[in-house]
Amino acid sequence: MDNGTSQYYLTASMDSGKSFCSLLKAIQFQENAVFCAMPEGLKLTVEEGKCVQASAYIPADNFTEYHVRDDVDVMFKISIAVLTECLNIFGASEESSLKMYYRSEGSPLLLVLQPQSIHNVMTDCEISTQTADSVLELKDEDASEVAKLVLKATAFGGLLADLERSCDIIELNLSPEHPNVSITTYGMQDRSCIDVPKSSDMVESFSCEKPITLKYQLPHIRLIMKALAISSKVVLRCSSNGLLLLQLKLEKEDQRQMFSEFYIVPLLDD
Amino acid sequence: MKFRAVMVDTAPMREFSNIVTTISKLSKECVLRLSDDKLYFIVSEDNSGPTPPVLWCEIPQDVFFSEYQMIGIDDEHKDIYLGVVSANLARSLATLKSAKCLKIKLTKKQCPCLTLEIEMPSSTSTQTRQVTHDIPVVVVPRKLWSEFQEPRVPQPDISIELPALKQLRTTIDRMKTMSSEVIIRASAEGRLTLQIKTNMAKVSTRFKDLRVEAFEGPIDHSDSETESQANEDMSRVCYCRVDAKKFSTFLSSEQISHNKTICSMVNKKLVILCLQTEENVMLQFFIPGIVY
Repeated sequence: MDNGTSQYYLTASMDSGKSFCSLLKAIQFQENAVFCAMPEGLKLTVEEGKCVQASAYIPADNFTEYHVRDDVDVMFKISIAVLTECLNIFGASEESSLKMYYRSEGSPLLLVLQPQSIHNVMTDCEISTQTADSVLELKDEDASEVAKLVLKATAFGGLLADLERSCDIIELNLSPEHPNVSITTYGMQDRSCIDVPKSSDMVESFSCEKPITLKYQLPHIRLIMKALAISSKVVLRCSSNGLLLLQLKLEKEDQRQMFSEFYIVPLLDD
Repeated sequence: MKFRAVMVDTAPMREFSNIVTTISKLSKECVLRLSDDKLYFIVSEDNSGPTPPVLWCEIPQDVFFSEYQMIGIDDEHKDIYLGVVSANLARSLATLKSAKCLKIKLTKKQCPCLTLEIEMPSSTSTQTRQVTHDIPVVVVPRKLWSEFQEPRVPQPDISIELPALKQLRTTIDRMKTMSSEVIIRASAEGRLTLQIKTNMAKVSTRFKDLRVEAFEGPIDHSDSETESQANEDMSRVCYCRVDAKKFSTFLSSEQISHNKTICSMVNKKLVILCLQTEENVMLQFFIPGIVY
């Protein structure tokens, strides 16, 4: 810390920005994200019409160097599309090292990228930042968790891909009795149903005390497809108020982990 | 007027096909000029007037063809100029990558045609198949020849060897999603910078240690808004703002196997990319600078 960056709000570097970039792409369904740097890691959050909130979380141990000032809130709004394009400037086939700097409130976010295999080139980016909008606080401390499932991500992704595209509504029935998990979709003329007993290979753990039925917008659930494709495991948590939380774990080659999280608001019966 | 030529070697056939494919991505139509020693592909913009063409490509006939015969209009006008729909030619030549032999003839059917006879090996027997394509062409009348003259361009301020085109194209393709214009900056010290500036972001990719072939500086920046870079002598830096999409299309020529690509620039006005191949083909792309 001799180059005058010690007063920066955030300085961070990592050997390869590739996983970071694919994680961001997985939540890139909105133009802008709220970028938040905390001492324990980086979090980027996007929201879709107050119904879905998705975040990418990169724990600090993924960085070779990570400093964030703890006396200020390091939080701003940034175009996630521009950020992913910048991270990918040397192409998906190239591993490039990444350095990130954020000097103070209102400064642009600076990125320096250098490919590992080519030595005579580097890219620097200044991405403008804006004051962050407030992020929805969807978690309700009073609501208790009523069900928790741990599933294999690829298999669950396959299951979602099998659902009829034209359907709007997905119904999730969880019960301690067989078939444990039953997923029903309602379309214009049809109803289709997939049962997943807890003995299925897809299910790694299942806990549910009493039967529960929840409805969600299928397009909302589909937003997690990209994240599923790069993750190994997904944890589904339903709380008593119907809020669905999906936590996905991305395991990197270096044994480190990154996460994405989706909160999905239920459809209420009218 | 007569034209007949035969190609039998695989490397030139593949290259010929790649060249025509690249051209078809640039423009719907092109002009094929046939002369005694060279073939030329020329793409010019409509109503281009005195500006240089978009593409000027020279192919030495003796490297590509084992037989080459042509007779022009008369002794004074020894060349033949043909207008071709480049996609038609590219589609017909696509099979050339696995062909044994190609014969090209200028024929007169219902309209003038370039007739391609391609001999294809069969996968099941030793016999070959012969596939014939007739591609309608327009014979360009003599009075229009002057529109397809060799481009006369001002002396470039700098000529610098480009890094691997594939790498360059990947970067430009990322940049073009963010901005429609990209600024190319080249310095006499062998540095090349690609930069975009928008409300959202400023992104600069810098290459260094590139070979500078020629530098005709110093460059006069007195009339421009160029921001001076710290510790860089601006009189040794040349820049040009170009259309990002156009630049990316030109870089699709990376699929033609090439020896080297030289980027020449006339400060602010023009970028010329010159690609040279193993077979002595020269492709020149002309990208006009955007000046506000």
